Amino acid sequence: MPRAHALRWTPFDARAALPALMVAVGYYLAARLGFALTLQPTPVSTLWPPNALLMAALLLSAPRHWWILIVAALPAHLLAQIQSGVPTAMVLGWFVSNCSEALLGAGLVRYFVREPLRLDNLRSAGLFLILGALAAPLGSSFLDAGLVKLIAWGEGGYWELVRMRFFSNVLAAITIVPLVVTWATVRPQELIAAGPKRYAEVAAVLAGVLATSFIVFDTAGIDATYAPALYYAPLPFLLWAAVRLGAAGTASSLALMVVLAISGAVQGLGPFAGASPHDTARDMQLFLISVSVPLLLLAVVLEERTRSEREAREQRMQLAHLSRVAMLGDMSGGLAHELKQPLTAILSNAQAAQQFVANKSIGDAELQEILRDIVTADQRASQIISRLGALFKHGEPQVQRLDVNELVREVLTLAHGDLATRGIECTTKLALGPLPIDGDRVQLQQVMLNLILNASEAMGAVNPELRRLSIRTTSTAHYVHVSFADRGPGFAAAAHDKLFEPFYTTKPQGLGLGLSISRTIVTAHRGRLWGSSRPGVGATFFISLPSASDLGPLSGRAAG
Amino acid sequence: MPYVVVVDDEEPVRTALQRLLRAAGLEADGYASGKEFLAAPRRPDCVVVDLHMPLLNGQAMLRQIRKVNTGLPVVIITAHDTPETRSECSAAGAAAYLCKPLDERLLLNAISVALSKSLRH
Repeated sequence: MPRAHALRWTPFDARAALPALMVAVGYYLAARLGFALTLQPTPVSTLWPPNALLMAALLLSAPRHWWILIVAALPAHLLAQIQSGVPTAMVLGWFVSNCSEALLGAGLVRYFVREPLRLDNLRSAGLFLILGALAAPLGSSFLDAGLVKLIAWGEGGYWELVRMRFFSNVLAAITIVPLVVTWATVRPQELIAAGPKRYAEVAAVLAGVLATSFIVFDTAGIDATYAPALYYAPLPFLLWAAVRLGAAGTASSLALMVVLAISGAVQGLGPFAGASPHDTARDMQLFLISVSVPLLLLAVVLEERTRSEREAREQRMQLAHLSRVAMLGDMSGGLAHELKQPLTAILSNAQAAQQFVANKSIGDAELQEILRDIVTADQRASQIISRLGALFKHGEPQVQRLDVNELVREVLTLAHGDLATRGIECTTKLALGPLPIDGDRVQLQQVMLNLILNASEAMGAVNPELRRLSIRTTSTAHYVHVSFADRGPGFAAAAHDKLFEPFYTTKPQGLGLGLSISRTIVTAHRGRLWGSSRPGVGATFFISLPSASDLGPLSGRAAG
Repeated sequence: MPYVVVVDDEEPVRTALQRLLRAAGLEADGYASGKEFLAAPRRPDCVVVDLHMPLLNGQAMLRQIRKVNTGLPVVIITAHDTPETRSECSAAGAAAYLCKPLDERLLLNAISVALSKSLRH
């Protein structure tokens, strides 16, 4: 649980002042908002935010600090109520019932969720709705109505008061708590990373909610009797928020609609106005609650699914990287062999030149030739090292235009050493001209290396004179094909699908992830990877990838 | 002038070693595979062979040479040294076993020792 999102401090710590001050100020402003959204002439509170705000603050804090926040809210409560002409006993009674709702809700949610509330999964959202937004308001409503009757303040029977308080507090809990909790737990780096397009989308959604809510709920002349569908005019924008903007965006949009709907009714505008204050409040609360709950749940579920997909993708990338590193580790002998060849050429050429110069037995032309060969050998060594370095790197895949023939040549410079140490002759038959595809160079090299190494290991027990690997590239109308044919023992047809299962291996060592990861990579490139075999004769593995011209505009989005 | 042949499938290495041998005053030629060497008409005084070559590697070549010319000194060179290959080459009768990148003095010394042993026989 990120420390920044739980207000953790010790009692009497100077750092406690700021959270307590924020609760006090917020409670006061919430109370002023609650008064502003009270229907007249008989004061009926449609939405009472302070309880919900206090509940949100408790949910974000460690339980041992709740008493500080409660104490901080008291002066704000007194200040807000002082001008209302309400008896002192009633003011204090309301503080008790307000705090009871906040404490009950926060306590129940905390007991079952076990950590500060984040509303980032269905379980925590469901528990909050049932315990914090339903059970707690219900419990405190009984207490609130009881205190009102006991102090003999206000009109209405006991059960009518319970109903009015209950719906008011439920609507406030559903509107205020998600708004505060989701924004309090947003990571600053997420806000920074969101580009202008994202901010434009957010602005468009909020503008849409604002405009439709204003037209429906805050203008005269809207008669929902004849056009009840108008109630749901903001729904497309609210759905857009749930699908695209997550819980924070949805909570913000819902809060905007709720405030506009109630303020319209307070001014006698919109489809709910015209009835008695009690009926107006009841109808509006039921409508707003029934819209808010499913949309919030939808936003949470979708956000949770997106997060799971992102985490799964990151894990797949991590696994592919580890598999690549392990494969390169297995190739270390071959890679060392491959680097020693150009080093040998460089050293022997240089020593030969030294001897020739000392004997004065070399012409300029031959000396130039020697120096040219030294440079070429050095460049070859550099190329091997830089290609190796690229394979070791761990980062987001980068989609770019690639030539499959070039990929094969690059991979063979790395694999050549391994093939040489195993005494394998490799022949290539590459199609004429480039074979363009769009893909990630490192991932596709990983696949090809894996197939080459598998072929190489498969021929370990084969007569050295028969150890041959053939690599072929071709293209058809829409696809590019690469095949890797070895002379190993092959595999039975029935075993084909198992070869690509994770952790399946026929080797004495290794995890058996190479082919599984290779297939995942090729599939992510919208291609196919499969094999065919004649047992005892050899196996051939095929990669088919869509030609670049068929993929539309080149996209920088990562593959896999 | 002693005639030394280099057998290595790596062309840059083969060319560089031929230059080195010529700079040391030896006559040198190169072949890209054991098959090419075995088919060549002229027999050298010493052969420098890469251990890891496709189809016919250095060890197999050594055994083939011993069948037809037991006295021809063979110097094995390799970029992938292991204790097993070292002992196998020694058991097969290699005159020397050297690791790439090759030290000029070690190579020329190995060839010189091999040639003198060959002359005595």
